[in-house]
Amino acid sequence: MLKTDSAFHNSELAKLLEACEESADFLSFGLQDSPFFIAYFKTLVKSEIIHHEVLACFQAKKPSTLEEIKAILPIEEVSITDDMTDIQNKLMTGNLIIFKKEGNWNCLVVPVPSVEKRQVATPETEYTVAGPKEAFVESLDTNLNLVRKRLPIPELLVKELMVGKLSKTRIAVVYVKGIADPENVNTVIQRINGIEYDEIADTSFLSQMIADNKNSPFPQLIDTERPDRLAAVLAEGKIGIFSEGSPTAISGPVSLITYFAAFEDYLSIWNVASAFRLLRLFAVLFSILATSSYVAILTYHYEMIPRDVLSLLITSRGTIPFPPFLEAILLELAIELLREAGARLPTKIGQTIGIVGGIVLGTAAVQAGLTSNVLLIVVATGALASFTTPIYQVSSVIRLIRFPFILFAQLLGLVGVAVCFALLISHLLKLTSLGRPFLEPVFPLRVEDFKDSIIRMPFNKQALRPLQIRAQNRQRFQQEALPKKDWDIDD
Amino acid sequence: MLPLPSENRKVSPFFVFYLIVAAQFGLGVFSFQREIVKFVGNDAWIAVIIAGISIHVVLWMVYQILNKGANDITVIHKDLFGPWLGGLFSLALIVYLLTLAVSVVRSYIELIQVWIFPQLETWYMALILLALVYVYIIGGFRIIVGICFLSFIFTTPIFFIMLGFPLRHMQASHLFPIFDHSVAELLTATKTMSYSLTGFETIFFFYTFIKDAPKSQKWGHYGTAFSTISYLVIMIVSLMYFSKNQLLESVWPTLTIWQIADFTFLERFEFLGLSFWLFSVLNSVCLFTWAGTRGLKQLYSLKQKHSLIAILVMTAVAAVFLKTREQIDQLSSVMDALSLYVMYAYIPFIFFYQMIKGKLRRTS
Repeated sequence: MLKTDSAFHNSELAKLLEACEESADFLSFGLQDSPFFIAYFKTLVKSEIIHHEVLACFQAKKPSTLEEIKAILPIEEVSITDDMTDIQNKLMTGNLIIFKKEGNWNCLVVPVPSVEKRQVATPETEYTVAGPKEAFVESLDTNLNLVRKRLPIPELLVKELMVGKLSKTRIAVVYVKGIADPENVNTVIQRINGIEYDEIADTSFLSQMIADNKNSPFPQLIDTERPDRLAAVLAEGKIGIFSEGSPTAISGPVSLITYFAAFEDYLSIWNVASAFRLLRLFAVLFSILATSSYVAILTYHYEMIPRDVLSLLITSRGTIPFPPFLEAILLELAIELLREAGARLPTKIGQTIGIVGGIVLGTAAVQAGLTSNVLLIVVATGALASFTTPIYQVSSVIRLIRFPFILFAQLLGLVGVAVCFALLISHLLKLTSLGRPFLEPVFPLRVEDFKDSIIRMPFNKQALRPLQIRAQNRQRFQQEALPKKDWDIDD
Repeated sequence: MLPLPSENRKVSPFFVFYLIVAAQFGLGVFSFQREIVKFVGNDAWIAVIIAGISIHVVLWMVYQILNKGANDITVIHKDLFGPWLGGLFSLALIVYLLTLAVSVVRSYIELIQVWIFPQLETWYMALILLALVYVYIIGGFRIIVGICFLSFIFTTPIFFIMLGFPLRHMQASHLFPIFDHSVAELLTATKTMSYSLTGFETIFFFYTFIKDAPKSQKWGHYGTAFSTISYLVIMIVSLMYFSKNQLLESVWPTLTIWQIADFTFLERFEFLGLSFWLFSVLNSVCLFTWAGTRGLKQLYSLKQKHSLIAILVMTAVAAVFLKTREQIDQLSSVMDALSLYVMYAYIPFIFFYQMIKGKLRRTS
């Protein structure tokens, strides 16, 4: 325990030390044969450095002033200060302080942090068979390293902000100067600075807090765990946001279509990639509309169905005691239950649940006459289709907005489905991402931006950055000259 | 006169084998028997051999002409007869090759209409076929050589395997008595047989595209030998399998032979075979059309990519106009006669004319 002079006892430093000492992991002790004292949180520092560097230098050199210690310590960023808030912050982030109990109570602050972090691993939600296999981790510095090594230019700027009264989360806003629109950068920084919240755990907190429309189910900033994807997005002129402790980065401004673009689209050849992107878009439409159309048609418009198909539906639905609406809601809920249970459970049990729920329950439900197997196929395909979206958050949105569609289908048949679709479109039209239209390039119509939307054109056609991002410099590279027109066979 | 093609456009000499086979071994294999048997009956196979030998002689002449001229036929014509008459000769040859292409396209469509899809519209199939031809020719000569080579690999093994099926039913006695016909009859039959072996005249146009072209002559002869032997085998199998009257009755005896193939997993083999024969048709049509457009480019500096479209459209229109079996037959017999003149009159004429002119030049 501290031997206390009366003068020291009244100092601010002593009060700080006293406050800290209430925690069991705080250490503070005097050195043998030396006027100096050392204090630190043992859970925040690397004890090897203290033993091998700091304490060793006292034994070898016997310094008498803080300046002398600063000169002989083989550690950079050592500072001498008497600013108490600074000292407190430094203590809390893995620094140790060295001080004397006489004189002016200056402290030598030595950074010896011990940082616990996960190894860089493979991406889980955005896994691709080809391409890089690195994913972001929970350490901000590692994440910035992963991005910086992909864009090794001084124009890649990192603006660091601090958010959260309790968590003091470090936020990094990353963009390429000269490409990114400064207006977008300002918007992001302003909105982050405006955040009033005590504890920020993840970038998805930020994503919700700085969204243009906080009540929309659609995320207005895209989140990714792939450094390569983020680097590509930064090169387009978008802005990336990291937060300490989050293994995902968010970026914007985005448009709706970006959510259906997998990074794999850029790894495979453009026509193959475009085909699969179209498939994904079709899957989304199918997922949204399939069940509601089933309900609408079977409830109101059975005349629409050709006779051959109708007989099949009658045999399938003949013994079902519920109206199509109830049947559909039951099945949709069951599938959502399965998904939710699977997501909450550990992987191995989750698989079992999938098999039990999917196969056993499905078969049993059909055999018991609770649902028709046609609807089972429709609902299961719809659920499957919703999972084809590369961004997880959007796939939940798509599954969720099916329910209002089913409700409207029950109320007004296919007209109801159209009404619900109109509502959805009106919402999407109003939506913006960092103030840029969300439905671009469809509305406002920018034909030029279709080169990387519904389809992905080859790289040599992507010489200009998308209009939506309003990049300062739209030219990505010099476009090659068009091939000469006057070629001929065998020339 | 165009510059000679650059080295990277040329192909190795041995590809001439496949090119010659592609030109000669086409749709003829299905239907050539009847016309020959008509004249010489069981001695038809002798006519095949004589025709083969005569074609070898003609091919030799072709190579002599080209080796001396060291360029393609349009240039040689110009050298020998001047721009006007020479151009006329070249144009005639081009028209002849393009008409051959029309005849092949229409015959194949007819085959499909008779054997697979009776309702098939001619224009529809012609459109598809010629679009395919366009895709190949637009890629240049090397691509055409590629399809010739690959189609050889695809089609010939199937063809000879299929000829093995009638073995059990064949009667050697059908071939006897040998030499039962007069020389005049044999020569008439030989004349008809030559038509099946026509098409190698395209070498007049692609000669400059062969690396070390004079050295490719042996491959040309191998190719002709291969086609001749194939025709001979087919002829002997047909003679031994069918009776003479049956052969005279059937339009496509080879397809009838294919019909007897019977696998546990497959019946009516000729559907598969006919579909596959598309490759064989494709390569001869490509070759003829390419040669035609190349010739037009030499003569009138027409861009090949433009003349190609015009010629394909004309081919399609011509194919559509040939409606009935009689019309198709008529075209065949016209081409039959024409090919005879081309091979046995025109080529020897050029050969001797060039030889005499060369000698005169040397002496003067």
